[in-house]
Amino acid sequence: MATVTAPLPGARVENEGQRIRFADLLRWSVDHKVIGLQYFVTSLFFFVVGGGLVMLVRWELLTPALDLTGSGTTYNQLFSIHGTVMIFLFIIPLWGAFGNYLLPLMLGAKDMAFPWLNAFAFWLIPPAGVLMILGWFVGQTEAGWTSYPPLSTLFSGDGQTLWAISLHLLGLSSILGAINFIVTIRNMRPAGMGYFQMPLLAWAILAQAIIIVMATPFLAGALTLLILDRVAGTSFFDPANGGDVLLWQNVFWFYSHPAVYIMVLPGFGVISEVLSIHSRKPIFGYRAIALSSLAIALVGFTVWAHHMFTSLQPELRIPFMITSMIIAVPTGIKVFSWLGTIWAGKIRFTSAMLFALGFLSMFVIGGISGVMLAAVPFDIHVHDTYFVVSHLHFVLYGGSVFAAYAAIYHWFPKMTGRMLDERLGKIHFWITYPAFFFTFFPMHLLGMLGMPRRVAVYAPEYQALNVLVSISSFILGVSTFIALYNMVRSLKVGRVAGPNPWRALTLEWTTSSPPPPHNFDGDPVPFKNPYGFGTEAAHLYLEAIESHSGPSAPPPAVTTALPEPAPSGD
Amino acid sequence: MAVLNQNMYERELTRDELMALRNRRTAVTVFQISWIMVFVCLIVVNLQIRSNSPSWPPPGVQGLEPILPTVATLGLLMSALLARNGLKAIGVGRQSAFASNWRAALVLGGAFVAIMAYEWTTVQFSGQFSSIFRVMVAYHAVHAVVIGYVMWRVYRTAQAGGYTVQRHWPVEGAAKLWYFVVVAWVMFYVVLYIL
Repeated sequence: MATVTAPLPGARVENEGQRIRFADLLRWSVDHKVIGLQYFVTSLFFFVVGGGLVMLVRWELLTPALDLTGSGTTYNQLFSIHGTVMIFLFIIPLWGAFGNYLLPLMLGAKDMAFPWLNAFAFWLIPPAGVLMILGWFVGQTEAGWTSYPPLSTLFSGDGQTLWAISLHLLGLSSILGAINFIVTIRNMRPAGMGYFQMPLLAWAILAQAIIIVMATPFLAGALTLLILDRVAGTSFFDPANGGDVLLWQNVFWFYSHPAVYIMVLPGFGVISEVLSIHSRKPIFGYRAIALSSLAIALVGFTVWAHHMFTSLQPELRIPFMITSMIIAVPTGIKVFSWLGTIWAGKIRFTSAMLFALGFLSMFVIGGISGVMLAAVPFDIHVHDTYFVVSHLHFVLYGGSVFAAYAAIYHWFPKMTGRMLDERLGKIHFWITYPAFFFTFFPMHLLGMLGMPRRVAVYAPEYQALNVLVSISSFILGVSTFIALYNMVRSLKVGRVAGPNPWRALTLEWTTSSPPPPHNFDGDPVPFKNPYGFGTEAAHLYLEAIESHSGPSAPPPAVTTALPEPAPSGD
Repeated sequence: MAVLNQNMYERELTRDELMALRNRRTAVTVFQISWIMVFVCLIVVNLQIRSNSPSWPPPGVQGLEPILPTVATLGLLMSALLARNGLKAIGVGRQSAFASNWRAALVLGGAFVAIMAYEWTTVQFSGQFSSIFRVMVAYHAVHAVVIGYVMWRVYRTAQAGGYTVQRHWPVEGAAKLWYFVVVAWVMFYVVLYIL
């Protein structure tokens, strides 16, 4: 007979949790749960904004001629702000949402290490977003999200300066948030939770935070020089006056390639949680997954120049090709570990699981096209073509956004106390998955055929594939609203979630949904293996949670469209 | 011995106070490691710009005169030592030793900023050479002034009896930030005046 410690010593949790109203999100709060939801709502808002902009881009590309936007400048502005908003105001803050909401709960803490700093980091984001949008009133940036000089110094309007100031604020927000994550993980783990007993999402957040604190200051340096070139008369990026346009590319990519891992590493953590929990299997290769996150963080700093293969000194191409291929190894370790995790598991095809499996298939395509791009000859052939656009979106949509959807379906019950509608979730998945594929996969073909990126006018032979891409992208855009509708609807009429509807073993599920203001009554005791499903000890631990916090999930009032119950024996 | 005493006094803190102290110390360390990367970035910029020039300084441009900046740098290094002595002094309850050391550190820090401000204003205008010099010196000076102001506030609070042997985190934090200013400058000094 295995023995198990109750997760929460002392009195049974009697409170009903902390209901957070929308009005609370508009106020200053130092509660990590409120801040997490502030990040969540803000990032979803900018997801819609960025998505709306790219719908216009795809509308323009329905025909080879310039028609909808009327000018190349307008088209340039649309895709520039689309890219910037999606990266800096959607994906990165969205991981801030899950990190802020979940990390203290997963570590059994009452809050983040620095609650005030946490709130301050969030409140830098709205003014940054406003500055970005204000650019449209003073001459919006048209240099792409990468803002290469001389486009960003000689040609863009004053919106480019606002863009740089906005990114300064967002970078500062990221750094402050990352410092908070690192300190919280290092110092606030509960007794009995060593680094190798942490949930893998915490490992992923740690790796992401390390990249943020090391790489983002480089962006700050680059932005400072860009602003000085634009407003103070310096010429760091102007070759006519002794400057160097490649200087920007070097310092920008030293941040921005690691930034790809900033955008996707927390997604890796989400996938580890969801695959294990929804297939009722212990994670395969816990240490390999945890340490490969750190390996990605480390190697990620050695690959930036592969973005500059066409302009790089020839003798430097091979070293950067090698490092760019090496970084696929730790990512491959994760993928095989995830496959090992679900192998022979009791898989429940919940919406969260579907998106996690969707992530696996789509991210692998993005990873493989990344290895193709790491090869110098191939990269030179498809440089600045739609192949690169495809690769980028397979990583950041097929990777980050699919993982984010998995996270939403998995943790929405914890955050709100309500289950999302599984039927709508599955409809959402089965529209998103093919729409995503047919939006971005044909771009591989367009790129290899030679269609350049960032053009509004293209050769007529590319039109058929562009029509397919545009129509698929419209469907993909509409599918987003199914998820948003599901969230809004479920807040009102969703089935009440118990504390642990997925019968998971990590600490956030040992408290009520949503958690009370101080998260836990007493100091929670972590289970020794957060993925130790299928053991008697795990079964007893889950029983202990139920005895303290009530049934894992209340019995359904309506029997349709609900997640399958957790199998016995866990 | 002072360190041993400090640890002994920390045992008198409550669990929450000890956790807060530990968190602050970790945060300052992470901040130092993080923010030094901005200075590394500017060093990379300097090195890449000079690699595009046939010589450095570029032909026809007068080089930097190192004597005054070297004196200022030695003064800055001394100020870090004095700040450290001040921190150790307050950790064992020697308020007057803290005050004298901290005051001297502030004076030396102020002298450093004044000398570098003079260098900044008198450097010959010469395109990239003076531009990158001015950006690096100004960027560092902003940090020196802001953190110097923090040290000044700490000094005033200490004079008013605001810190005890057990509770003097602001002194420790300000000293560590001042070390950051010193390390960042030493890196810049090597690039600007030695390489």
